[in-house]
Amino acid sequence: MDVGSTATKAVLLDMDGGVSATAISATGANVIAAAGRVFSEACKGAGVEDHEVSYVIGTGYGRYKVPFGHAQVTEISCHAKGAASVFPGTKTIVDIGGQDTKAIKVGPGGEVVDFCMNDKCAAGTGRFLEAAAAVLDLKLSEIGDVSLRSTNPLKITNVCTVFVESEIISHLARGEKVEDILRGVHNAIAGRSVALLRRVGIDAEVTFTGGVSRNLGMVRALEDRLALKVNVSEMSQYVGALGAAMFALERVKHGAPLPTAVRAVADAHGGH
Amino acid sequence: MEKTEDRAKEMQKGMLANYYDALTQAEERRTPVAYLFIPGNVVEVTSALGFLPVYPEINALQCGIKKVAGDLILAAEDIGYSSDVCGYVKNDIGLMLKDRRHPLARIPKPDLLVCNYSGCNTFIKWFEALAQFYGAEVYLLDIPYVRGGGVSPSDVDYVVAQLRELAEVCARIRGVPFEEAALERIVAQSRAAEDLWAQTLDLATRRPTPFDAYFEAVFYMAPINILRGTPECVEYYRALLGEMQRRAEAGLGPVPEERFRVVFEGPPPWPHFRAFWELFKKWGVAAVSSTYSKVGGLYDQGIRHDPARPWESIAEYAINCYTNWNWGMRSDLIRKYVEHFEADALVIHSVKSCRSFSVGQADLREEFIHERGIPTLMVESDLADPRYFQEAQLRNRIDAFFESLEHKRMVTA
Repeated sequence: MDVGSTATKAVLLDMDGGVSATAISATGANVIAAAGRVFSEACKGAGVEDHEVSYVIGTGYGRYKVPFGHAQVTEISCHAKGAASVFPGTKTIVDIGGQDTKAIKVGPGGEVVDFCMNDKCAAGTGRFLEAAAAVLDLKLSEIGDVSLRSTNPLKITNVCTVFVESEIISHLARGEKVEDILRGVHNAIAGRSVALLRRVGIDAEVTFTGGVSRNLGMVRALEDRLALKVNVSEMSQYVGALGAAMFALERVKHGAPLPTAVRAVADAHGGH
Repeated sequence: MEKTEDRAKEMQKGMLANYYDALTQAEERRTPVAYLFIPGNVVEVTSALGFLPVYPEINALQCGIKKVAGDLILAAEDIGYSSDVCGYVKNDIGLMLKDRRHPLARIPKPDLLVCNYSGCNTFIKWFEALAQFYGAEVYLLDIPYVRGGGVSPSDVDYVVAQLRELAEVCARIRGVPFEEAALERIVAQSRAAEDLWAQTLDLATRRPTPFDAYFEAVFYMAPINILRGTPECVEYYRALLGEMQRRAEAGLGPVPEERFRVVFEGPPPWPHFRAFWELFKKWGVAAVSSTYSKVGGLYDQGIRHDPARPWESIAEYAINCYTNWNWGMRSDLIRKYVEHFEADALVIHSVKSCRSFSVGQADLREEFIHERGIPTLMVESDLADPRYFQEAQLRNRIDAFFESLEHKRMVTA
């Protein structure tokens, strides 16, 4: 269960590690309810009863809000594990979620070598794209494709999620094209993300995870900035949940591969 | 965990209560008061003429711990201080605006402000502001910055000349002559406490370390920062050393099971001190050394006062304060700590308020990870302003860091 700031994701694995179901829903205000809803949906998708799931690991900001979770692991470890499974050549991960961006350097077995996160502000995250979409009266799912039509990308100088709105409005007032503005917005985020990636070191292959990886405009902007091909897949938004499910499977199969860490976190939170 | 002996902490409470009582009574008793900063201060000179020291940084950190810093900082912002100004400064300005009513004392007004701005240029603006508010005299010491390659004799002479001038200023304000013998006596007491404290800090080489060399050391350092040069301070460090030796012999440590030994760089977030410590404790993290516990003196590096050459040793102490060393020296010192105390990792707590502490830490992180191969975690909040502490984000970074260290251990085991 990956309970993110914006979306809650579930991945259900069978005992051979195959994905039997995925589910997703907006997290909303009631985090516990979202976790329960998405978990049930995944179970229904796989045709199993809730109680037949032998081990649940919670990850993401809401990882302690999964009342039926057996343990918690941070999304940094989960994204590393999940990305290395989907793209085994992964050495660097850029994860752009609803309110944070992470750069993770991974070792050969999908272990975390180093990581960096954006500072305490939503600049350069999914929230930044949401703000841009809202002020342009577009759906979040549309803006990536619109940005790809740009022939003359504008430079968006503001990286502040709040102030970017007024910058976009001033561009609109000058009669600039929506696609050029949006391409500028995507380039601004790519610039910030790559700066974060440089802090851990950029080695190919680079895998792009998190909800924003569904945005093709963002994929292109990152590839342009990095001058590298970036791995993305249908599973990109589920990579955190996939990693959590893989940790859960390891625990079920081999006893306790993450024993002390998981126990420490669980003990500190009353055994959940 | 067994109940550990905690006599030193009790003793410290009593000593600090007496100190704060003396502050409250200073105006009534007409005790002369000198305001000083902690890093590299020259309190031996002012104490030789009977000035009671007031440390605005200590007052600010106490306000942080007592959870009143937020209101005081807002009071300073109300009169125009920017959100970017150091939280300690605004806390102190707020105290002054609120009639100097500190949670532990009524802080007396200064008769003299001694600005030893080793490594922090905000200190100058801070005391200039207080001088204007209180109409008190400022004596500004110009301390040469240390750029590596040692401290030249001419730098020491330059500071000694200023110290002698400061002694004359103190004597003029008091209307009594300066006595060399009084200075030597105080310096000898400073030295005795420094020797004992340095020995105590080195006990953290033991496994488990008998005390947390960050979260506990920043409390144990209070007497040497506030009462250095007094006989009570020497007695305190004698008792503390004994207590820590007994803890070490009994194999007692600050966490039930010492799983990670770390070195800490940077000041703690005082308004959220306990919450911050808990984020590490749950992983079995024990600090074995820290740079912040050395801001009052790099005694462990042999920088100590010397009654045989009081003036020169005060000057050397003032010059060799941690924040007055350049980054190369700071980084080498941290590496030395990691090796000497056999630490698993470095944790950097960057604070928004204090650029003299924090500038360069991002490079330090890179250097330790990429060049020195030492796992390093960098987190950020503030030392004084409660608004900058984001617990969920801190927890995420800290959990991920120790999770990955643990994983590495498992893989290599």
